[in-house]
Order: sequence, then C-alpha cells, then structure tokens
Amino acid sequence: MSAPPTEPVRYIDSNVYLPYDYVAGDLKALYLRALKDRRILGSKCSKTGKVFVPPLPNSPESFAPCNELVEVSDQGTMTTFCIVNIPVIGRNLELPYVAASVALDGADISIFALILGIKPEDARMGMRVRAVWKPDGERTGSHDDIAHFEPSGEPDAPLESILHRL
Amino acid sequence: MRNVAIVAYAQAPFVAVDEHHTSTEILYPQIRRALADCGVEREAIDYQVGGSADYVDGRVFGFVAAVDVMGSWPPKQDLHLEMDAAFAAHYAWIRMQAGDCDTAMIVGYGKPGEGELNRILNLQLDPYYQGAVGLDLASTSALQASAYMARTGAGDADLAEVAARNRAAGARNPDAWLKQPATAAELQKTPWAVEPLRQGYVAPSCESAVCLILAAEGKAEKMSKTPVWIHGVDQRAELQSLGSRDLSKSASAGMAACKAFEMAGVKTANDVDLVELSALTAAEEMILREAVGLPARGDGGPAINPSGGPLAGSAAMSTGLVRLGEVYRQLSGKAANPVKNARRAIAHAAQGHALQHNLVWVLGNERRWS
Repeated sequence: MSAPPTEPVRYIDSNVYLPYDYVAGDLKALYLRALKDRRILGSKCSKTGKVFVPPLPNSPESFAPCNELVEVSDQGTMTTFCIVNIPVIGRNLELPYVAASVALDGADISIFALILGIKPEDARMGMRVRAVWKPDGERTGSHDDIAHFEPSGEPDAPLESILHRL
Repeated sequence: MRNVAIVAYAQAPFVAVDEHHTSTEILYPQIRRALADCGVEREAIDYQVGGSADYVDGRVFGFVAAVDVMGSWPPKQDLHLEMDAAFAAHYAWIRMQAGDCDTAMIVGYGKPGEGELNRILNLQLDPYYQGAVGLDLASTSALQASAYMARTGAGDADLAEVAARNRAAGARNPDAWLKQPATAAELQKTPWAVEPLRQGYVAPSCESAVCLILAAEGKAEKMSKTPVWIHGVDQRAELQSLGSRDLSKSASAGMAACKAFEMAGVKTANDVDLVELSALTAAEEMILREAVGLPARGDGGPAINPSGGPLAGSAAMSTGLVRLGEVYRQLSGKAANPVKNARRAIAHAAQGHALQHNLVWVLGNERRWS
C-alpha cells in the first residue's frame, strides 16, 4: 500500500439537488387562474369578515374558516415600503427602486409589490397605487401577471385606513 | 409524576397524493375535528407543537405555515420539531411534567409526494461518506434487513408473512391506504424494492395530516370520557454512522422500551394487549419486536399493528404520531377494528436511517399514578 497523501483535503463538494412539484391547492389555483383575467381574489373570514389575499383556508387571527371567495380591487394603498439599493439575483431592475406592501381596496392584509413610475424619494405611506397588468395574451396565471404597481395620482389615504393592514 | 392523557385525535385518511390541498389545508380540518372531539376551543390549549420537515415541505421555515392553521392569535407557546410528530408529543409531555402547561396540541404533516423522499432522506446521512455514495432510506433499510436475515436465518417467506399480516389488518382500517389484503405468496411475487426487500415488504409513502391533543389530570377527565393515559415513555438515539452499529438489532429501541416499561410498571411487552410499531419494512417489524422483548414472528402475544401499521400506509413526519393515535383509538373504544378488551398498549416511533432513534410509549385506559 502506498503512503498516505501528504496534502490534506480541505473541502469536499456536496451538491444538493432536490426537485419539487408543489400542489397549488384548489383555493390558490382559483386565485392564480383569476389573475389571468386581471382579477384578484381573496378569502373572507366567516367570523370577522376580514379578507385575506392571497386566499387562506382559515383566518390565522380568528381561527374560523374562510368559506367565501371575494374579488378585491387592483388598486390600493402603499402601507410600508423600502428603497432597494443593492441588486437582487434574478431581478434585473434599475437601482434604486421601491418595494412595498400594498393593501388592496377590499383586502385586510397587504401583498408585496414592486412600485415603478416613482422617484424613490417620493415614496410614502398612504400613497395610492394601481396594478399594471401584463398585456392580454401574456398573462399565465401567476403572480408575474401583475408586472408592477404605479402611483394612481389619487390623494393619499389617511393613515387610520391602513394602520391595521400593514 | 403527573398523569397526562390523550384526549382527542384526528387524522386525514392516507392518500398517495392529494392534488387539491396543500399540507396545511389538509391539517386545518384535523385540528378543528380534534378540538371538537374534546369539546374545547383553541383558547383551552396552552401549548402547540408541530412535527414536520422543511426538506419535505420544500421551503425554508415551512413549519410557520402550520401556525396559521393552528390559529396564531392570541399567540401561544409554540414549538416545532424537525422530526416525526410523535417526538413533538414527547416534548409536550415533558413540558407538562415540568408543570409549564396543562394542555397541548400536537400536529404532524407533510406532502412527500411533492418532492422525492428518498433523495431528501439521503441528507440525513453524513455528507462525507454515506450520503456521498448515494445511500437512501430504501437502501439503508435493505442493508438492515440483510443484516437481520443473516443473523437470524429469517428468509423471504418470513418477511412476506409479516407483511401479509399487516395488510390483512390494514384492510379493516378505514384510514389505511392499502385496503386490499394480500397473501404472503402474493407478496413474495412483488418485485424487489432493494434486495432483500420486496415492494410488498416496504411501507408505501402517503400523505396525511394528524392532530392529537394531550391534557393533564384534572383537565383530561373534563375533555374526554375515555382519556388514554400515558404510563411510561422514553427515547434513545444511536450513532448516525451505519457502520458503528449492529444493524441487525435495534439497541436504542430496546433501551427505550426497557425504560418506558420501568416507568409504566410493566414487566414485559407481553403484559400489554396491543403494540403499534413504526416499522417501515417487514424486517424492521421483526427487529423491533425482538427489541421490545416479543417473538420476532407468530401470533399469541399482544396484537401487533392492528391498524395495519406503516406497511398499509405511512405518512412522512406523522408515522409515529399515527401509532399513538391508533393506540388512543383502541384504548378509548373508538377503533374501527377493535382489539378485544384492550386496556394497555405500546406505541413506537422512529427517526433516522435503520432505526437510529427510537421512542417508546406505554399507555393505558387507567391512570398510572394515584
């Protein structure tokens, strides 16, 4: 047998490859399919009436089931935001840009959204925004069907209207 | 010691793949059913513990999704174990012994059909040697079966007989996946999974979600007319490296059983009426029977896996908790396939490759400590 190697092995490669096929579930499938038709669906808590977007099977807050799907607006209010100054892998956007939480009209929680058509220094809580959809024929039933949000030009919403929808 | 009982249990029937619901959507109705079963609202639960695996879920912090369906307001003490949910139940039991809480909700869930379970379980092995050569659960189970067969002389026909008995029992369990019985001769004709294990000797991977509720004495009697009391419990883990253990045996299952029996005041496994084992292969069942002090095959002692056991359907991350639930059903008179006059039982859960880590419970329909 030959002598043991003198050079130590400092690292080994160990590549992890795990493919998944996620089940969307009937509830989210309806939500995703509706995006293709420029409609945004939420689920309504049977106890409190609060509307969750994307739809949830139950309210995490009241624990009651959500038995009803309702349509919410594609316009809403920027509740909180940040200004992104570093590039994100897979997102080829001109820096800096605004990423925000948007409470859609009719929804009781906000969704994450990219805001374009705005100078970062103009971003503010309460600013009204609207969805910019991908053109007909290009929507596939995914979150990317909303290309981004942009200011709608309406007067700002009062803080009280978004305090519980951050 | 504090008397703690199982007061409710709900399980989604096993399916191969549920294409209509996410894992937490399967779980939510089970939580509602379990709470209804013991007549309380979420407010009555002090502590919630989940057993699931982010690698099975295929998402980072996947377990937080379960908090949404357990109810997240007002916040409860909450814990998650990256283990079979039976271990989550043990954790809750320990907290109850410490007097930290009186009631606990235990959930187990996972959708192994979304990923590739064998590939995922390769990551439980060390990345330098065993993981790197591509061992997965099927192959480590086969290595163990081979070691057991070499030591004991058990053959293909013996494994087939064990599997056939489980399949016959599974046919009487409405929640089982494989409800078609199969004879030993039929199972001996199934193709190899990994030799010496045939497909008929290996637990089919299923999806389910489970909720079990524990309550301490004082509350348990109010929540259930037939509480099933925990008499003893212990868990032991062995070395991860397969080469460092005698794979033909399960020393840790033996030690856990010994300690659990001691706590329960049970002399031998023959003092109980039924045993539910988390045996993912027919060989594992024989190894576990031997470890807890029962003959490796044949009838005569306690009923073994009257639910059909994992060989009639096994849901990753819930397999062990289902054993506890099946014992609860038997001892509380709620089983669809009752074992006559069942008063005391053993439930077993395992984790890791080739029975690396074992948890043994003894339960009864009377209080253990006065």
